[in-house]
Amino acid sequence: MAALVKLKPLEELFTGRSSVLPGRVVLEFKPDDVRRLFSGLIEALGPDGFFISTLSATDLPEAGRVRLDYFVVLLPEEETVVFRTYLLRDKPVIQSVHDLVPGALPGECEAYDLLGVVFEGNAHLRRGFLAPEDAVELGEYPLRKDSRV
Amino acid sequence: MGGRKIVEVPVTLEVPVGPQHPALHEPLLLRVYAEGEEIVRVEVNTGYNHRGIEKLCEGHSFHKSVFVIGRVCGICNTVHTDCYVRALEHLLGVEPRERALFLRVLAMELERIHSHMLANAVLALNVGFENLFMSIMLDRERAMRAKEVLTGSRVMADYIVVGGVRRDLDDSKREKIARLLDALAPRLEFYKRVFEEDETVLKRTVGVGKVSRLDAIRYSLLGPVARASGVAIDARASERYDAYGELNFNVIVNSEGDVWARAMVRWDETLEAVRIARQVLEKLPSDGNPVPDERKLPRKFPAGEAYTRVEAPRGELTYYVVSDGKGPNPYRVKIRTPSFNNIVNSPFMFVGYSLADLPAILASLDPCISCMERVTVIDVEKGARRSIALRDLAGGE
Amino acid sequence: MSGTRGSSSVRVICYSPWLVHFNTGACNGCDIEVLAAKTPLYDPERFGIKLAPSVRHGDILLVTGAVTKKAGERLKRLYEQMPNPKFVVAIGACAISGGVFQGSYSVLGGAGKVVPVSVYVPGCPPRPEAVIDGVLKLLEIISRGEV
Repeated sequence: MAALVKLKPLEELFTGRSSVLPGRVVLEFKPDDVRRLFSGLIEALGPDGFFISTLSATDLPEAGRVRLDYFVVLLPEEETVVFRTYLLRDKPVIQSVHDLVPGALPGECEAYDLLGVVFEGNAHLRRGFLAPEDAVELGEYPLRKDSRV
Repeated sequence: MGGRKIVEVPVTLEVPVGPQHPALHEPLLLRVYAEGEEIVRVEVNTGYNHRGIEKLCEGHSFHKSVFVIGRVCGICNTVHTDCYVRALEHLLGVEPRERALFLRVLAMELERIHSHMLANAVLALNVGFENLFMSIMLDRERAMRAKEVLTGSRVMADYIVVGGVRRDLDDSKREKIARLLDALAPRLEFYKRVFEEDETVLKRTVGVGKVSRLDAIRYSLLGPVARASGVAIDARASERYDAYGELNFNVIVNSEGDVWARAMVRWDETLEAVRIARQVLEKLPSDGNPVPDERKLPRKFPAGEAYTRVEAPRGELTYYVVSDGKGPNPYRVKIRTPSFNNIVNSPFMFVGYSLADLPAILASLDPCISCMERVTVIDVEKGARRSIALRDLAGGE
Repeated sequence: MSGTRGSSSVRVICYSPWLVHFNTGACNGCDIEVLAAKTPLYDPERFGIKLAPSVRHGDILLVTGAVTKKAGERLKRLYEQMPNPKFVVAIGACAISGGVFQGSYSVLGGAGKVVPVSVYVPGCPPRPEAVIDGVLKLLEIISRGEV
């Protein structure tokens, strides 16, 4: 993964490293650092040096956590790196980055409506953006493991 | 002319997520606000296409989910199954035969051809060129026929399975597909020329809906929409999945960034797809049966996570699959379709253009064919509400 | 008026049926085959089959999709807006029963859950010929006064 060397300036933000098949590097960061991470990416790579491809939220009830994965494509190499963080399941709150990187918007809205992750600062978050009305009325987040839908 | 108009565009998307904003009564894709004829604001809903697919996959085995995955999007079902199946193959450590990998590419490129032809045909319709629409759709039938010869089905192929493909290709079918491509190629060249030269098309597409390279990147736009704005991204080139590593092809880029550029990227990609398909037919390896013995496929998946990317006709499509190793079902399947990025992030593309440009800009994003529907135009000032066909909006009605 | 046996106004539809196509949350597989059915190779106009200019002119409603909960409300309203006589054709496995989406928290499972269906065209998706055939079979049973 040649492009990875470009992330050196952000080294101090990463608390762990693992991987996802096939050979994609996963860099773990603290939720509080999400804005530092993305403004750091803009500074180190330029606003046209990367894009957010996919934002995935996964419910991990046994661990009492929700995992957030930001799948970011580095340009021009088009190499994918995963920025991973864990939120408390009982209070899954993290700051939004959609003002820094507008491409984050759809993923944040989806993670909010289907899993209940709150992205502070994103005024577009709303229930029913994706989930059906009856799920919303019951206060259910469909992708949670204990959801009653 | 200070009239305030609101245009409501009802559409559905192939994204596996969705229903509507609770405040709205109609399931809409776009709600467009205009001052006179100028678009000042656009709101996007993800439509009402939410079928709860990600959750559904958790309730089915990995293998059974392949059939649900194909039905996320009928138009590009092959790329969906390819992407999901490759994630499973990574988890299992399974490698299909070379022949299967080549056949997968053939299926996906035939799909790209039919999808791009459909997208450009709908664009033609939306700029008032109905004859061109009908003509492209007629020639597109050859691509549908080729898909059917290869996979047994025009649309829903259910062709890609863990370990390979569902059926092999014999010499006579191979010939048939080659002949269909031979008949199709000159027609594609013709349509490309029409889009390059025809006054009607040029007038309604050049300079319309321009997106800068920087915006395309910052808004995570994908596929032909991004490439038409000079962003050279293509999962086939970066991932080299299946047999793409053994084939020669170009990533098609245009720098104009307008509706016209998107249409041209699609025509060039369609021609490129024919070239790739021909290479596959020529170089098809004979390393054994590309159809796996399904009885020998593992039912239990080890714990692990896989993230796969595929270049769908509309852009990068991704699958993130998590296995907890405890049973036959996936723990999590996350699907991110290209339209999710392109459509949800599209509002900025419309602002400043006229209502008459709306149908062309929307069609250039290749949302789905239901955008042929009727839209509701609400004249706020006059308190009037009427329904007209989306393409008639282009005529300035 | 809809469904009156042997009614002549019902039979008149058979000369020039106007179709309305509605997608209730589908993968678009059926929709592109319905679309293809309207193009030159299949030439539905030789049967007088045309696309209705608006819902209020529709005779026959073609429904695709598994009918998501939100779409169900719209489907009902659309059907109510159509003048009598009117008939519904369910196109594809999803419109018949929900298809592979049966059991999903977001799906009702078939057009028949919301509107009365006269003809079911199976397939995933059905071929354009099958779509036209389904409409023709409907016209046949209408003209025989059986619906």
